[in-house]
Amino acid sequence: MTEIQAADVEIAATTADDAGAPRKGVWRRFEPTILGTGTIVLLLLVWEFLPRIVPMKEGTKLFFAVPSQIAGTLWDMFATGMIWAPLGVSASAFAIGLAFAIVAGLPLGILLGRSATLDAMLDPFITAFNATPRLVFLPLLLLWFGIGLWSKVAVVFLGALFPLLINTYEGVRNADKLLINVVRSFGAKEWDIARLVVVPNSLPYIVVGLRLAIGRAVLGVVVAEFFGSEDGLGVVMVRAASRFQVDVVFAGLIVFAALSLLMTGLVKLLEDRMSRWRPEHVNAN
Amino acid sequence: MAEDAAPRLNFAERYRKLLLGGVAVALFFAAWQAIFVVVPFNPLFISKPSLIAAGYVDLIESGDLFHDLAVSAVPFVYGLVAAVVVGVPLGIVMGWRVRVGYALDPLMTVFYASPLVALAPLVVIFFGVGVGGKAAIIFFLAVFPFVFNACAGVRAVDRLLVNVVRSLGGSEWDLYLKVIFPSVLPYIVAASRIAVGRALIGVLVGEFFAASEGIGYAISRFGDIFALDRMFGCILTVMVIAVALTEGIRWAERAAFPWRAEQ
Repeated sequence: MTEIQAADVEIAATTADDAGAPRKGVWRRFEPTILGTGTIVLLLLVWEFLPRIVPMKEGTKLFFAVPSQIAGTLWDMFATGMIWAPLGVSASAFAIGLAFAIVAGLPLGILLGRSATLDAMLDPFITAFNATPRLVFLPLLLLWFGIGLWSKVAVVFLGALFPLLINTYEGVRNADKLLINVVRSFGAKEWDIARLVVVPNSLPYIVVGLRLAIGRAVLGVVVAEFFGSEDGLGVVMVRAASRFQVDVVFAGLIVFAALSLLMTGLVKLLEDRMSRWRPEHVNAN
Repeated sequence: MAEDAAPRLNFAERYRKLLLGGVAVALFFAAWQAIFVVVPFNPLFISKPSLIAAGYVDLIESGDLFHDLAVSAVPFVYGLVAAVVVGVPLGIVMGWRVRVGYALDPLMTVFYASPLVALAPLVVIFFGVGVGGKAAIIFFLAVFPFVFNACAGVRAVDRLLVNVVRSLGGSEWDLYLKVIFPSVLPYIVAASRIAVGRALIGVLVGEFFAASEGIGYAISRFGDIFALDRMFGCILTVMVIAVALTEGIRWAERAAFPWRAEQ
């Protein structure tokens, strides 16, 4: 039997009579997690032991870093504390750029959502900037801001602005017209409408925009540091790469990925906190 | 509510959005050109539309622009094609075979979420400075949208259709050809829109890092010699190409799959 037919049978069984289905055992419930983590673990093991099993040229062996090495390097980096300075530089560029993007993107998104004229006028610019990889502006930004914090901040800002802007705009456009009309009939001005209806309604959209923005912001820090910076974690990585210290490069990647996951997790917490009043949310909990 | 015969909108009203946009762009360039009447013009810092246009004509006539674009296009195309050829089947299998999906999903998510660009230096070391290295970077960046979207597309296949084909005696191959593939196609096209953007990043990263040829290298080269006018010209070219590709795909999506809501 193929997977689909088995699944159909199971769906029929569970919807027909939930109480009489003892088959939902441990395996069924945890199968996705087990398979998923299992694959990752398997891959890590293969990676770890590949150099020992497969004969490699001496040159390749030099460059091939295994998970245990990477973990060791990562641990060293934190234990010796050498990671905090570059990470601080990268994180501050990330934070400042993201903050500017939020401060600029959210109000602008609301403005564009409410004013069709303004939206039509700015649309070509937004589309153009959103479609182009921010990296193309980097040489220009380096000329303008020099090699330092502000060119990085500019790249991060450009990367993070557009998801925030576009998603806020979408959220505002999808605001419930009925609610707006109700509030208006009670004499609300634009500002009140924004405060009472538009912003709370757009929250899910803004959160999605924020998540996208964080991803792009991390990317922005990484590429800006690769090509135009003197300090920061990305610089550490690119220097290590030129010295063939592959383990350091992977360790840096893991740190950046962890930063991204951490920020996204924080956003999720914030979203949960701010969405408590939503009916769907309450029912789901 | 009385149903009036809708008055025929005049030209300005029908194309309002386009007109406003066009006017805004024109105003922008005009202001850019005009501002240097009051603000001192430093050619080492910025350029103006008249100079950019002149430099642009130069670049086109000397053939440099097309040469650079062609050089950049080669790994771009190779990488994208490889991404489709590998990503789509992988995604389809992940979506169709539930267990494969369970096994590979977390792995793919980890890859998609980490800034893979950070590994670009390593890729260049491994694959070399030429087309191979750049195509590899582009492949790794572009493959994941295809995998995820193909997987989502398969999971969204209408089970009813599957059962109909099966009950009429269709083989597994018939299923793939007549049900799965047409259902998945809109998702794949949407993925290509995202993948193209990521592939462009790959092109630039590859060229900035293994600086040899191509439009990205041209931009940084012009920056080094402070030829701001050509630099702006190349940047604008990349922007136009990026917009053309992304909006072109979006248009194709709307034309070919009108029932799909804007993602």
